Amino acid sequence: MRRSLILAGLAVLAVPGLALAAEPPAGGGNLVGPYAVLVAGFAMAFAAGLCALGQGKAVASAVDAMARQPGAAARIQTAMIIGLALIESLAIYVLVVAMILLFVQPIK
Amino acid sequence: MSLDHPPIVHLPGIPDHVTYTWVVMIVLAGLAFVASRNVALVPRGVQNFLEIVLEQFQQLIDDVIGPEGRRYLPLIATLGLFILVGNLLSLVPGMYGPTTNLNTTAACALIVFFAYHWIGIKKQGPITYLKHFMGPVPLPLKPLMFVIEIISHLARPLSLTLRLFGNMFGGHVLLAIIFFLMGLDGLLGWALSGSLIGALVGGIGGAVMIVFTVGFLYPLKILVSFLQAFIFVMLTMLYISGAIEEAEHHGGEHHPAHH
Repeated sequence: MRRSLILAGLAVLAVPGLALAAEPPAGGGNLVGPYAVLVAGFAMAFAAGLCALGQGKAVASAVDAMARQPGAAARIQTAMIIGLALIESLAIYVLVVAMILLFVQPIK
Repeated sequence: MSLDHPPIVHLPGIPDHVTYTWVVMIVLAGLAFVASRNVALVPRGVQNFLEIVLEQFQQLIDDVIGPEGRRYLPLIATLGLFILVGNLLSLVPGMYGPTTNLNTTAACALIVFFAYHWIGIKKQGPITYLKHFMGPVPLPLKPLMFVIEIISHLARPLSLTLRLFGNMFGGHVLLAIIFFLMGLDGLLGWALSGSLIGALVGGIGGAVMIVFTVGFLYPLKILVSFLQAFIFVMLTMLYISGAIEEAEHHGGEHHPAHH
């Protein structure tokens, strides 16, 4: 079932016309599964990329501050870790949505 | 999911995360029992270890909340140790980490949510506590501020839940996929298939994967386990300190930028 879903997703990506021909759109809902796979992957890619940009900015300024004030390094590090967790949680939301799309499949 | 192997010990009729929550409870209670069986003035062994751990928690509380936060050490340290052991349990093959399930993390986050509101209300009375939701803004903006603050407070347990769950479940899926690729359906099966090419590719690939898993993935997962437990505890402390410190300097004061 899962393998067929992934294969169908690949088929849609590679040969959209073939997938459309192979699966008769009964009620039009047949393509949700393959598109869910595609969307999950692309959503995670965008989220990871943008999250990396944000975290990189945060870490860069934290390291700058630590280099200027080595005495305050421990406190800056704690603040940085909390900030990173808050930034990362946004990407984690996308991960959870992707997981729901892939494994729970609320819309067939 | 289909790649995932069910845990080895499965009690019929009981969800896995409940079973393995009991395992975590047994581990922690056993540690506490062994440590406190004969308490010595000069601690040795397990007692010494647990005292160091609790002193770390206490120091963290002193840093974030201040000395008046020591009353909440039981809540904070219990949450931290439970989450840490639960996270580490998911790294043991054949076991199921309770924090890889949404129900466990939601339970922890809801405990934190109700606890910090209860602490705040108890510390400064319901009226004063509710008033603080309006923040230091001019009167016409207060209703708007109130709604925004309520929404942001409701988002806190959601973000606590999803952060822990997402990190742990994501790591779980990653390990499941790696083990699936290494296993009898993957590289190992290829290596044992009998053909020379298969043995060559599967053997070399399997060795590389094992080195990668043991040398990189497992240390990373251990780091993430500690980090997520730390962050959960840290945010809990920040929420509690936000709930109680508002009593002392009401309004006007510039709060540290948490959340």
